[in-house]
Formats: sequence, structure tokens, C-alpha cells
Amino acid sequence: MATVEYRNIAKTYGAFEVMHDLNLSIADGEFAVLLGASGCGKTTLLRMTAGLETVTAGDLLIDDRRVNDVPPRDRDIAMVFQNYALYPTMTVAENISFSLEIRSVPKAERRRRAEEAAALVGLTEHLNRYPRELSGGQRQRVAMARAMVRDAKVFLFDEPLSNLDAKLRAQMRFEIRQLHDRLGTTTIYVTHDQIEAMTMADKIVLMRGGEIEQVGTPDELYDRPVSRFAADFIGSPAMNFVEGTIEANGNAPAFVAEGMHLALSTSISALPGRRVVCGLRPADLVLDTDGSVEGHLVLAEKTGPDLQLHMTVGGQDFIATAPRDANVQSGDRVRLTVAPEKLHLFDPDNGQRL
Amino acid sequence: MIVQSTYRRRWRMLAAWGVVALFVFPLYYWITTAFKNARDIFDRPPNVWVFEPTLKNFEEVFGISLGFLRQQEVLPGGGNFYMAPRLWDSIVVAIGSTTLSVMIATLAAYALSRLDFKNRHLFVGWVLSTRMMPPVAVAIPLFFIYKDVGLLDSYTGIILIHAVMNLPLAVLLMKSFFDDIPREIDESAIIDGASRWLIFRRVILPMAKGGIAATAVLCFIFSWTEFVFVLTLTQTGLKTVPVVSSSFVTSTGTAWGNMAALGAAAMIPAFIFILLVQKQLVRGLTLGSLKQ
Repeated sequence: MATVEYRNIAKTYGAFEVMHDLNLSIADGEFAVLLGASGCGKTTLLRMTAGLETVTAGDLLIDDRRVNDVPPRDRDIAMVFQNYALYPTMTVAENISFSLEIRSVPKAERRRRAEEAAALVGLTEHLNRYPRELSGGQRQRVAMARAMVRDAKVFLFDEPLSNLDAKLRAQMRFEIRQLHDRLGTTTIYVTHDQIEAMTMADKIVLMRGGEIEQVGTPDELYDRPVSRFAADFIGSPAMNFVEGTIEANGNAPAFVAEGMHLALSTSISALPGRRVVCGLRPADLVLDTDGSVEGHLVLAEKTGPDLQLHMTVGGQDFIATAPRDANVQSGDRVRLTVAPEKLHLFDPDNGQRL
Repeated sequence: MIVQSTYRRRWRMLAAWGVVALFVFPLYYWITTAFKNARDIFDRPPNVWVFEPTLKNFEEVFGISLGFLRQQEVLPGGGNFYMAPRLWDSIVVAIGSTTLSVMIATLAAYALSRLDFKNRHLFVGWVLSTRMMPPVAVAIPLFFIYKDVGLLDSYTGIILIHAVMNLPLAVLLMKSFFDDIPREIDESAIIDGASRWLIFRRVILPMAKGGIAATAVLCFIFSWTEFVFVLTLTQTGLKTVPVVSSSFVTSTGTAWGNMAALGAAAMIPAFIFILLVQKQLVRGLTLGSLKQ
């Protein structure tokens, strides 16, 4: 087990700079998720951690040891690839124990440890099969067993679930997190799927354009996104954004835009008259005949547990969720309300939270 | 399979058999010629289906007659038709040069596919450009070089030049096979702690068997049929089948029957070689290591 620390990390390809002055530290035993859209640098950061990419500038420390110039095999890390990258000409057992074979571990012990790792991921039955004979989920498990067999200091996962179907993905999510809780190994997990990040992470590192947008627990990112980008990225369906102004009625500030008039909590520091962007999570909106958000219901979509209301408010698309038994019809005028503390205000120019 | 009308399918089958016949007939005619008497060979119109079979041509070419060997028989017109050692020469040269070029090409192609070094793409272009060179352009200069270094008229000399001529194509072909193997597999092995050499030997090479087989077949066929270099760089020490085939054209006429016998026999080793490697040829490359 180990800590991982990034100090002023930079990465350039020729003249093209993909990362600049990145600082981050991951605690011992933590499950950190690097989250971001494709091209944000999350995979590059992971590959630098693995030693598959060089670090252009800055210091990369694993367990307080600078590893910038240490080859991958001496970093004591294990990695699971997006496409599994199993060795097709080796059996499951050979795949799992290949790293031990390289380290000249005796054959009997290799077999024992491969069996242990296979048992952890439920592959005991398949030890003598070849990867081509396994299903996608089983291959994924082989890749995980291969990483676990070595008792590495850090586990790296590069979008390991993106090739699986939705149901299996949910199951593997749970299994990976459970394995982490059991083994307690420091884990860095790259994904573009905010649900994976929210469900698995101790710490989410939200990245954008080679920089860290926000670092925090899943709750922190959900409840207090530092920017409009972070607010938009986390949560499904995505947050609604409405541009409007702050008005002060005596001591009580309010957010006013076309089709809505929302009371703000008094702790808001923004000045009256200022233009702001207000963010409202669909799940925070509640149907209420006295509500101050008025919209036109275009479609009520059944998702099973609830309804997703696709509306237009002040000419703008707007999404809210409602209980499945809500009595609403397409074409209705609908009123919604939202608690003042659930509103997120952002600067319309730089997108920062106010 | 896509649904087709019966009528169309029948026409397609007919056309397919027509094409097969077009390719197989010359082979049939050549092989039957090897078993014909001179009278049947020169008959007009030719006897395609009905003739009196004989082993005379094979006896003359391979010196086998009722259990004893006749060697160096000189036939009317001054031709020496005893060719069994020449078949052996061909086998030695083809297997030797194929082994050499596949070994070098596999290593070079892996390096070109995986290792990052300066001007790699220029190197690939240079390898390709050597393929553009016509053999006749180097045959004569090479004769003098071979004469000076003592490679003239030797197995080593012919194996070397055949291997060299095959290398560009073999390297590019093998490179394309290695390029098809995902880099993640190498990276996965790197993280497992393997050295480059170990990755190549234990992980990549077993996956590239199909590519190696395909490359070997191409190299073998090139060497088996190569003419210009063997003609210019050998004298009496060795001659391969394509070159000695021309010696059946004598001052008293062409010995078609003997030529056909040698040609038919020359097909057999090549056929065996391709049979041996074809199992690898058809095997899939990545064999399900990746989610496709």
C-alpha cells in the first residue's frame, strides 16, 4: 500500500502541452477516481503513473519515492486496461501468474497465488481456459486477478468497464469496490462515467483540459460543485442552468428569470442586480401548485421508479424528476418549487461558483 | 449468408467452376505431359485425356530405373538430364533463405512496430525502397563481389542473396501483423515486469504465428522460383530447378517430357511446405484477447 503524489506535473507532446502544473495527492488505501471527458488528460496521468509515458516536468512520488525515472516494472504497480489486454496464447492461470513467473516465483507458489486471485474474482472454474473462451465479464475478471496476484502497491484502472453492457457494468462496479474494501490497496481509477465515479470513489478528481477542476468526495462534488462545468458533469439527468439576475426585496435576496422567481438563502454574498447563472438539479425540483418555477410540460418520460419531466421554462429546455404517480400530462402548465439551499449560483462569465 | 435467388446462385457456381478449371487445366496438362511419350506430346491435335502413360521421363530426370541408379547419362544432343541433385539444391536454398529472412524480418518488424527511435518512418520507407530494385540491376555487380569474397557457386551465397531479396517484403508484411496486435498487450506485459525480449518471445511471437507462416510461404515461393541470381552466381556447384529447367532446351529440340517431369516433381516440396504451415495461416491473430 502506498500514497501517490503529483507535484507540478507537466506533460507535452512536442510543442503540444496537454498538462500543466498539476498537483494532487492520493492517500494510502484511497480509491481515487479520475473523471473527465475524453481528451482531458486523465488517461495520460494514469499512464504517467504506470510509467508508460514519461513525465515532462514535475515530480511523481509513489510512497514518497520519486519515480519519474523508474521503469514500470520497478514501480510496483498493477494495471487493468480498457480492452483487458490479456495474453491470448496463455490460459487464465498463466495469464494471472505471468508476472510471478517473470519474478522467478516457484511454480507451486505461482499456482497457489493464481488460484487465490482467481477465487477472489470467482474464476476458479476457468483457470485452464483461454481468454477467447471467456465472456466479456470473465475476461475483465481475469485482468483484475492478474493485477491482484502481485500484491502491488497501487492498482491502476483505465476505464475497465466501458466495454461491458449496462447490467454487467453495475455488477462489476460493486465487485471492484468490494475488492478494494477487502484488499485496501490504493487505487486510481480512470473513467468518463460520472455514475462510476459517484458510486465507487472515496475521492473524485474531476479533470478538464489537462487541469484539475475539482477534487472532493462524491458528496462534495454533487452538493457544492466549484464551477458550472463540475455541476454539469456530475448528476444524471444533468443540472438545469438558467441565466437571470439577483434582486433584493429588503433583506431577502431572490433569483429572477423568465418564468421563475426563487428565494435565495440569506447567506448568498452576490450583490443585487448582478447577472448570474442559477443551477437547479432535476431531482431537487418538486411539483408544487404554489411553486415559483412555471413551465410547459412537453413530455413526461417514464423511467420506472420516477417520471422525467421534459419542460420548457421561459423558452428554455428544462428537466425535472417527479414521483411516478404524479398526475401530469403532456401539454400541462406545471409549477415546481425548490429549496433555497439547493440552488447553485455561478458567474456567467468564468463559470465559477458564487 | 445473404439470400440469393436459385438462378443467380447456379450461375455463380458455374462461373466459379469455370475459373477453377481455367487455373487447374494448365497444371493438369503439365503433369500429364510428364507421363507421356514423345509421340503423345507432339501429337496434333493434342491427346489431353487419352494417352499411354510412361515413367520414362522421371527415370531419365531422377536416374531411377527398376531399382538401380543411372547417373550422368548423356542423351543424344549432349544434354545431361540427371536432375535429382538439383531438386536437393532447390530445397536447401529455399529452406535456408526462408529461415534466414523470416528470422531477421520478425525481429526487425517487431522493432519497427514497437520501439520508438528517431526517423523510424524513414527507415520503413528505405526498407520498402529496396524492394523497388530490379534483380538484374544488381546481378552483374554482385557477380564480381561474390567472386572476390568467394561466395560464388556456393549455397551460402545463394541463400544470402535470396534472403536479402526477400527481406523488405518480409519485414513489411511482419510489421503489418505486429501492428495488428494491440500495444496494450505489450504494455500489460511491461507492467507485469517483462523485458522487451521476453515480451517478444513469450507474448508477441506466439500471437504472430499466422503472420510468420504467411511470410514464410511467400519467401519460400520466391526462392523456389528465383532465376536470375542462381543463373549468374552459380556455375557447377549448385543449380536450382528453374535454372536447370532451361537446360532441357537442347540443340536437337526441347525435351518437354523431361522438363514436365522435373516441374511436376518440383511442385511436391513446395506443396508439402505450404501444407505444413497452412494450419497457422488460417488461425486468428488476437484470439480473443481483446474486446473487439
